[in-house]
Amino acid sequence: MVNFTVDEVRALMDKPTNVRNMSVIAHVDHGKSTLTDSLLSKAGIISTAKAGDARATDTRADEQERGITIKSTAISLYHNLEDEEDIKDIVGQKTDGREFLINLIDSPGHVDFSSEVTAALRVTDGALVVVDTVEGVCVQTETVLRQALGERIKPVVVINKVDRALLELQVSKEDLYQSFSRTIESVNVVISTYFDKSLGDVQVYPDRGTIAFGSGLHGWAFTIRQFAVKYAKKFGVDKNKMMERLWGDNYFNPHTKKWTKNGTHEGKQLERAFCQFILDPIFKIFAAVMNFKNDEINTLLEKLQLKLSTEDRQKEGKQLLKVVLRTFIPAADALLEMMILHLPSPVTAQKYRAETLYEGPMDDEAAIGIRDCDPKAPLMLYVSKMVPTSDKGRFYAFGRVFSGTVKSGIKVRIQGPNYTPGKKDDLFIKAIQRTVLMMGGKVDPIDDMPAGNIVGLVGIDQFLLKSGTLTTSETAHNLKVMKFSVSPVVQRSVQVKNAQDLPKLVEGLKRLSKSDPCVLTYTSDSGEHVVAGAGELHLEICLNDLQNDHAAVPLIISDPVVQYRETVAGKSSMTALSKSPNKHNRLYMVAEPMDEELSLAIEAGKVSARDDFKARARVLADDYGWDVTDARKIWCFGPDGQGANLLVDQTKAVQYLNEIKDSVVSGFQWASREGPVAEEPMRSVRFNILDVTLHADAIHRGGGQIIPTARRVLYASMLMADPALLEPVYLVEIQVPENAMGGVYGVLTRRRGHVFNEEQRPGTPLFNIKAYLPVLESFGFNADLRAATSGQAFPQSVFDHWQVLPGGSPLDPTTKTGAIVTEMRKRKGIKENVPGVDNYYDKL
Amino acid sequence: MADLAAPPVLSTPDDHILTAEPPLPAAQKSTLSADVLSRIYEIPRTIDSLVAGGYKRIALQFPDTQLPDAPAVSTALSEQLPPDAKVHILADTSYSACCVDEVAAEHVEAEVVVHYGRACLSPTSRLPVIYVYTAQELDLPDAVNKFESEFPDKAAKVIVMADLTYHHHVAPLVESLKEKGYTGIQPTEVVRDPNGLIPNRSIPLDLTADDLRTYSLFHVSDPPTSVLLALSSRFASLHVLSAQSSTVENPTMRTAGLLRRRFARVLSLASSGVIGILVNTLSIANSVSSIDNLRRKIADAGKKSYTVVVGRLNPAKLANFAEVEGWVVVGCWEGGLVEEDSGYWRPVITPFEMEVALMKEEDRIWGGEWWGGIEKLSLAKEPKEEKLEVREDDAADVHDADEGVEGEESMPPEYDLRTGKLVSHSRPMRLAVRDSPDVKTKSGDSEALIRRAAPGEVVSINGVASPGAEFLRSGRTWQGLGSDFQENNEASTVVEEGRRGVARGYVVGEGEKH
Repeated sequence: MVNFTVDEVRALMDKPTNVRNMSVIAHVDHGKSTLTDSLLSKAGIISTAKAGDARATDTRADEQERGITIKSTAISLYHNLEDEEDIKDIVGQKTDGREFLINLIDSPGHVDFSSEVTAALRVTDGALVVVDTVEGVCVQTETVLRQALGERIKPVVVINKVDRALLELQVSKEDLYQSFSRTIESVNVVISTYFDKSLGDVQVYPDRGTIAFGSGLHGWAFTIRQFAVKYAKKFGVDKNKMMERLWGDNYFNPHTKKWTKNGTHEGKQLERAFCQFILDPIFKIFAAVMNFKNDEINTLLEKLQLKLSTEDRQKEGKQLLKVVLRTFIPAADALLEMMILHLPSPVTAQKYRAETLYEGPMDDEAAIGIRDCDPKAPLMLYVSKMVPTSDKGRFYAFGRVFSGTVKSGIKVRIQGPNYTPGKKDDLFIKAIQRTVLMMGGKVDPIDDMPAGNIVGLVGIDQFLLKSGTLTTSETAHNLKVMKFSVSPVVQRSVQVKNAQDLPKLVEGLKRLSKSDPCVLTYTSDSGEHVVAGAGELHLEICLNDLQNDHAAVPLIISDPVVQYRETVAGKSSMTALSKSPNKHNRLYMVAEPMDEELSLAIEAGKVSARDDFKARARVLADDYGWDVTDARKIWCFGPDGQGANLLVDQTKAVQYLNEIKDSVVSGFQWASREGPVAEEPMRSVRFNILDVTLHADAIHRGGGQIIPTARRVLYASMLMADPALLEPVYLVEIQVPENAMGGVYGVLTRRRGHVFNEEQRPGTPLFNIKAYLPVLESFGFNADLRAATSGQAFPQSVFDHWQVLPGGSPLDPTTKTGAIVTEMRKRKGIKENVPGVDNYYDKL
Repeated sequence: MADLAAPPVLSTPDDHILTAEPPLPAAQKSTLSADVLSRIYEIPRTIDSLVAGGYKRIALQFPDTQLPDAPAVSTALSEQLPPDAKVHILADTSYSACCVDEVAAEHVEAEVVVHYGRACLSPTSRLPVIYVYTAQELDLPDAVNKFESEFPDKAAKVIVMADLTYHHHVAPLVESLKEKGYTGIQPTEVVRDPNGLIPNRSIPLDLTADDLRTYSLFHVSDPPTSVLLALSSRFASLHVLSAQSSTVENPTMRTAGLLRRRFARVLSLASSGVIGILVNTLSIANSVSSIDNLRRKIADAGKKSYTVVVGRLNPAKLANFAEVEGWVVVGCWEGGLVEEDSGYWRPVITPFEMEVALMKEEDRIWGGEWWGGIEKLSLAKEPKEEKLEVREDDAADVHDADEGVEGEESMPPEYDLRTGKLVSHSRPMRLAVRDSPDVKTKSGDSEALIRRAAPGEVVSINGVASPGAEFLRSGRTWQGLGSDFQENNEASTVVEEGRRGVARGYVVGEGEKH
C-alpha cells in the first residue's frame, strides 16, 4: 500500500524547502530503474519482494521486454527523516520539519534517448548518478553528468552493483576499496572539467556522505555517514570525525587501540578503516550466507541485532542474502537520506539556476519570481515534454512550476519556442483544465501546485508541440529552450500500404512528434513522410510506436537514409552575377565557407538572429575574426531565419537597397533551404552581396524580379565555389576486452571509421575506444560489431559533427560523391544531373 | 580562387545600350510546300466547314511553334473563301496554346476560331471552334515492332492512345497489331469530354474504372505531364512511344514520384493562410463559376483568397505577390499544371489539388485519382456546417478562476505536416470570423473602449480582416518612405489652413505676412 496520501503531498508542496526534485541518470544498464524500485518499495508503491525485478518506472511493454528504459518517468515520494539529528546535517539551506517530498524522475540510459534525459534534467535540481562498480564511469555517465552540470544540477553518486564485485569477481576488501576510489576519482574528474562558479564545488566525497555504495538488485546500500552514526555511538566519538576516519588512509591499530594514518604496525599491514568497519561485516554476511554456514549466520544476525521473520529465515543462498542485507542496510534509507541531506531544495537551486533558465532580463517580475521560487509571483512554468494519456491522442504537458502557482481553470499564456515578447507569433491563451501529480504510469488529480514542483497539465497539449513556457505575466520572456545533445540525423520515410489510411498516418505522425522530445516528422519536397531520429534504435522504437500505436495502420518503411548538408569548400572563382527576368536589375554575389566554430556557435544558439546586432558584431569580431563592418551588416541567417548560413551586405552606397532587402532575404531563405546540388539544406556558407544595380522604378525591382534572381545568384555563386556535401559523423565509444579489439578495428575500418583514442580502463581488462564513424556507414554497425567480437563490444553512437563527404566533386556524376548525389536526386524525383552554373549565371 | 588583377567590373558601362545590338531571332519562314501545307493543315476540310457555317470573320489560332506557317495557311484559306470573308491570325495567346483564346478572337469580332495543333478540347463558352490537329508523320511498321518488344504476350490487355497530332495513326496501328495476333488491343476515339475515364478519349468497350486498371496504356508520342498524372492511377502501367527518338519509355515509376511531389505542394497549401487564385482562362465553360466556387471553399476553410490575373504564368509575375503563400490555377486541364515549378517561389497547384488541400486532415487521401483542371470541382456541394473543433472534455467543467491572464482563449494551432511544426496562421480568417460578433457588440457601446487584440489576431481594415495588411505590417521591413498616418491620431486628420501666396511673401490665414 502507498504509505502517503495526495493530501499529505499537497501539504508538503507548500514548503518548498522540503522538496527535492531529482533525476536518476547513468550509463545504460548501470541499474537506474532497478535502484529506483527500492525507493518505490520504501514508499509502498510496489511490494518489497518485487523491488529490483519489477522496474516499476518502465511503464511501457517494450521497455519491460527489451529491459531498457525508453521514456523518463516521474514519481513523487514522501519521506520522513526519523532522526532530528539528521536535519542538522542539511547544510546551506533551510528546512521546515522532518517530512520531505521527493519528486523523482527515472531516465533512460541509452544514448539514443538522451533527449529524455535533457527534458528530465530541466525540471529537476539534483541528480542521482548511478555508476556500475565493475564497469566504472562510462561514456554516457560522462555525457549525462555534463548535461546535468550544464543545467546547474547538483549530483550525488551511487556506486551500484557491489554484489557483482563480491559474487562474480570475488575481489578482496582492499581491491574493492581501490576500485571505489578509482571510480570516484573519474567522476570527480568529469565534474571538475565542467566546473561552474555559481554552482560551486560539486565534487563528490564519500566522507561527506555524497556517495552511496550498494546493490539495486538486492535492495541494499549504505553511505559512510550511516556507519559513522553507528560507530560514533559505539566509540563515543563525534560523528563527523568518524566519517572522515572511515574513508581514505585511516587505520585503526588494534594493538595500540589508536587511530593512525600509518598503514603498517611493526611491519605488518593494517586493515583500512573502511575495510575493517564497513566492508568487513558485509563480506562476512556474504561469506556466511553464500557458503550456507547457518551457525555463523545466526551469530552475525545477533551481533548486528537484525531480526528476520521466520519465513525469511527459511530462505537460503541469494534469497537469504537479499533479506539480510536489506534489513541491515536498506537501500532506500541510504539513498533518501543522501538526497535529502545533500541535494538542493527548489528554493536553494532556483537562486542560482534562474539566470540559466530565463531568457529575459534578470530584474523583471518573472525573473524575480523564479529566483525566489515565489508561489505568489506570476506563473512561470516550463513544459519539458509530453506524456501520453490513456485517452488516445491526448497528452499531459509535463513540466515544472518555477514561479507562481498553477491551478485548474486559470487562463495562461502559452508561449511556444519561437515566441518573442511583444509579437504574437507562437502565443496562445488557454485555460488549464486540470492539474495532476505524475505517479509513474498513473496520475493523481490535484487542485493546484505551487512553485518548485513537477506537474502534469491537462488541456493544453494542442498548443504545444514538444515544449514551451506557460505564464500569466504579459511581459514574461520565454524560459530557455532546451538544447539536446543528440540530433535527428537518421531518417526513414514511411508510406501507407493503403491510400485510404493516409489520414491515420498523418494523425500518427503528429502524435509521434509530440510524444518524443527529439524525433522529427515532416514531409519532404518529394512528398515522402519522413521520420528522423537520433539513431537506429531510437528510430526503431519511434516507428514501432507509429505503426502499432499512434497510426495503427500497416506501413511501408524505407531503408534508413542520411540527411546531408550542402556547403562550399572555397571562395567563388569569380563574382557571380544574375540578372532579373526583366534584365533591369543585377545582383553580384560571392560565396565562401564559414568557420566551423562559428557554425557550431550558431547551431548551439550562442550566436543567433535574435541577438542585438551590435553585440553580435562585437562577438563575431572578437571571437571569430570577422570584420566589424561586415558583422554589423548581416542581413539574415538561414534556413528558417536561424540556420548556420549568413547573408552579408558588402555593398557600398547602393540606392534602393533597403527596398529589396526583404526580397533578397526571401530568396536566401528559399535557396538555403534547398541547395543547388541536391536540394538539401545548406550549412556553413557565407554569401557576400558585392553590388546591386537596380532599376529606378519601384515596380521594376519588385519581389517578382528580385526573389527568383536572388536565388539564382546564390546558386551561381555556390556552384562556382567548389560545392561539397557534408555528411553527419557519429562519435562512437566502444567498450571492449583486449582480445576482441582486433574485431572492432576491422569493422571500423571497413566502414570508413577511424579510431582517435584508445584507453585501458584502470583495473580492468576493458579498453575504451573512441572513433568517428560516418552515419551513412553506421547502419547495421551494432550487429556487425557484435558478430565480429562475439558480443563482447558495446558501442554507443552519438552525432558529433559534419564532415565533407570525401570522394570527389558532387557535380561530377562519375565520382563516388556524384553517384550519391545522383541517387539522391533520383529518389527526390528531380532531374538526375545537377544543373550547371550556366543556368544561374548571366553574362554581363 | 583565381586572383583578380583588377577589381571586377560590377556594372554595365553606360554606353552599353548604344553599342550592344540585341540579337533578333531570325524570322522563320515556312518550309512546307503548298501540298504538304494543305494536307497537314487540312485546308480543304477547313474551307468546307467555314463555308458551310457561312462565317465571315475568321480567326486562326496557331501554337507558337507553328506560327511560321501561319501566313501561308492564311493565304491558302483566303484564296478559297468567299471574298467578303476576313481571316485573322491570333498571334500571342494569353494563357496557353492548347486552349481556344476566345477573348483575343472577340477583339477582331470573329465568328469562328480555327484552332491548330494540340488542343485540350475543353468546352468553350462562346464561340464555335474548328479544330485542326495538324497531323504528324509516324513510322508505322517501326511502331508495331516497338509495341511487340514491349508486349511480348499476345493476350496483353492494352489500350492504344495517341496525342491529338498523332491520333490518326491509332486505328491503323491497332489494325496491324490485330493482324499480328494481339487479342486484347483497344483503340481510342477522340471525344470532347475532359471528365471521361480517359480525358477526351472514349473506348469502344464499356469499361468501369476497376476494369480499366487491368489494362496497360500504350501512348504514341510524348503526352503532357498532366495526362500522365491523370492516367497513372487509372492504368496498370504506362508505356510511351516517343515520337522523336522512337523509343519506348515506361514512365510509371516517374509518374508516381511526380504525384508524390505534387502531394508535398498540396500540403504546403493546406497550411498556408493566404491563397492566390490565378485566373488562367476565361474561355472554358464554368470558369467563372469555378472561381466563385473556389473562393467560397477557401473562405469556408478560414483562409483568405486573392484573385489575380497575370496572363501567361511565369515565376517573376507570381513572386511579386509576396504575401500570397500558395497559388491555385484555374485553367484548362492541360495548361493548369505548372510542370517545371522549381523556379516558382510559392507552390502552384490545380483546383483538384486545392480541394484536397482544403479537406480536413481526417479526410485527406492522396494517390488515387488526379485531375488537372476545373472540371471535377463539385459545384453543387453545399458548404457543410463547420463545427468548431471544441472537444467535449475541453469545454466541460472548466471553471473560470479569477487569476490568470485576460483575453479570449485561442484556437489551437494546426500541425503542419510539411514542416512538422505547429502553425497558427493557417486559418487567418477564422480568427477574424470568431471575433466579429465581439466587434459588433462593442462598437455599439462606446468608442472609447479599446479592444485588446487577441494573440494571433489579424489586422483589419474597415472591420475586414486583411492578412495582406498584416503581412505589410509584420512581414516587411521596408514599408515605403513612411506615411503621416498614425493610429488613433485624431490630430493628423484635422484640416488646417496652410500658407498661400508667392515666395516673396506667404500669407497665413487672414492677412498676416511671413
